[in-house]
Amino acid sequence: MEKITSVKEWSVAIRINHWAMALSIFILIVTGFYIATPFTIAQGETVNKFFMGNVRFVHLLFGVILLFLFIWRVYLAFFSRFHADWKDFLAWTNIKNFIHQIKFYLLITKEGPDYKTLYGPLQSLAYLGLLFMVLVICITGLILMGAGYHKGFTYVAATILTPVENLLGGLAMVRYIHHIFTWFFILFIVVHIYMAFWYDAVLKKGTVSSMISGNIFKKVKE
Amino acid sequence: MAKGNHSEHKKMIDKQYKDLMKHCQTHMEQVDKTLPEPKENLHELLTERGISRRDFVKWTSAATAALMLPPIFRPMVAKAAENFSRLPVVWLHFAECTGCSEALLRSSYPNVDDILLETISLEYHETLMAASGYQAEKCLEEAIHTFAGKFICVIEGALPRGLDGKYLTLGPKGKTGIEVAKEVTSKAAAVICIGSCSAFGNIQAANPNPTDSVSISKALGISTVNIAGCPPNSVNFTGTLLHYLMFGGLPALDSLGRPVWAYGKRIHDYCERRPHYDASEYVDEWGDAGALKGWCLYKVGCKGPYTYANCGKVRFNDGISWPIMAGHGCIGCTEPDFWDTMAPLEKPLPDKSYNGREATVDNIGIALTGITALGIAAHATATALRHKDDDQAQKQEVKHD
Repeated sequence: MEKITSVKEWSVAIRINHWAMALSIFILIVTGFYIATPFTIAQGETVNKFFMGNVRFVHLLFGVILLFLFIWRVYLAFFSRFHADWKDFLAWTNIKNFIHQIKFYLLITKEGPDYKTLYGPLQSLAYLGLLFMVLVICITGLILMGAGYHKGFTYVAATILTPVENLLGGLAMVRYIHHIFTWFFILFIVVHIYMAFWYDAVLKKGTVSSMISGNIFKKVKE
Repeated sequence: MAKGNHSEHKKMIDKQYKDLMKHCQTHMEQVDKTLPEPKENLHELLTERGISRRDFVKWTSAATAALMLPPIFRPMVAKAAENFSRLPVVWLHFAECTGCSEALLRSSYPNVDDILLETISLEYHETLMAASGYQAEKCLEEAIHTFAGKFICVIEGALPRGLDGKYLTLGPKGKTGIEVAKEVTSKAAAVICIGSCSAFGNIQAANPNPTDSVSISKALGISTVNIAGCPPNSVNFTGTLLHYLMFGGLPALDSLGRPVWAYGKRIHDYCERRPHYDASEYVDEWGDAGALKGWCLYKVGCKGPYTYANCGKVRFNDGISWPIMAGHGCIGCTEPDFWDTMAPLEKPLPDKSYNGREATVDNIGIALTGITALGIAAHATATALRHKDDDQAQKQEVKHD
């Protein structure tokens, strides 16, 4: 006999982190594109307008929030009391599962590989990539923020990151890399949402709602 | 409490400046003894050029402020200016256009900075000196020998490393630029790179760089003071020399060797059009209504946000104007490799094209997102077909139960 039970997969901390990150990334992409290609507001007097200033404020605010969410997520990966998942990020090192998973995604096999880790082999690689993207966008963002502001945390961060700025080839290159990585985020989001829906539709374990309820359905033999 | 802290802080600063003043005075007395007698009397020269004593005093105030020193240093700046012609300078030209010399020495209506530069005791300057050939070579050797360890070596131009440096051979003996530079800089008290060529390589070092040109510091492996710019402002050069004359050392430098007092902040931070940037008022194309109103040039490619320089503060041509004031965006000429990193110069950075037409980062991103969406649609359809039987199998399972 098989019974379907609900198993807790995501702790509250991970879920809050996930949605807070999703919201900040969404806001950062929208405000970021405005900063990159702003439209002109011709009406009104200059003194009464501060649109770019406000957009930049929101962008910097959520950028710093994203940085702290990133630090929190890395902390959880190592020290979460529910499940420290840093080892799960290395699921891609299992080559056999990796090939099996690709076959499953390409619809060659109907069943995916049986892995014990929290993430599948390709998932682990994708999420590792996402963390790397967040790190790069935060570092380049801190350099750009520190370039125009010479006080406090921003100044300290920018001073520490000056060698990185020079290594990347100056502020212009830093800003260009920042822009390119925005597109990586957009591509990630499109594929990520599709794959969540796909898992939900194919495996019928409630993958999408698991990031809200924290629980996933599993078949257990009695 | 806060007030107590404040006064203590003020006391500390006062003490620091007093120490600095003492250091400055002892150094200048030392200089008086060691340096050769002034070649020219600055005040006579100024009167000749129609600059009054009052103008000179005004200039000392401005120069003191530019060097970020308090007003008590004004007499020292004036003294250093009088000593300007006592500082031996060897000026070398390598792979460059002589534009920096032209910019510094040729102004229609010279101010004190320009006149100061004319008084420099140039022991060797290829463009300006009368000697040529072996005679010029002799001048250089004599200067290096007489003022060993005392002269300032000013370098204009990058050093090509290709063909063992033979892309640049100089003088009657056919020495390569690298040989000359090594010989002279090894005996100099300090090396000041003037212009972006010697500081960072500039256009010679831009992609594809056929002659393998690099900056002086990279070619010789020495640390240099980089007065970046194409051309740099004369104030930044005279200020650095004044600092050297006053304190016997070079000013604080940033991570790229540029004096912090001149290159500490970005064009964007000093820009008079900055309020228009924050107010979302942009010039969309040359000559539109926004351009007439002097709005921000960000969308027509201003690179001010990525460029450290004080152009907006000190301006060019006797303080008349500077690029952004004249209506063109900054091209970022004080930054390393700016021909490559700041291109396209009259468009925002993301409009850099990879095939000369539409392949900008945004268009590539849109195309990739579109392809991904198509792939998703195809995959979803294929999945629906492939896993069609799953539902039936499950239903049967339920029935079976």
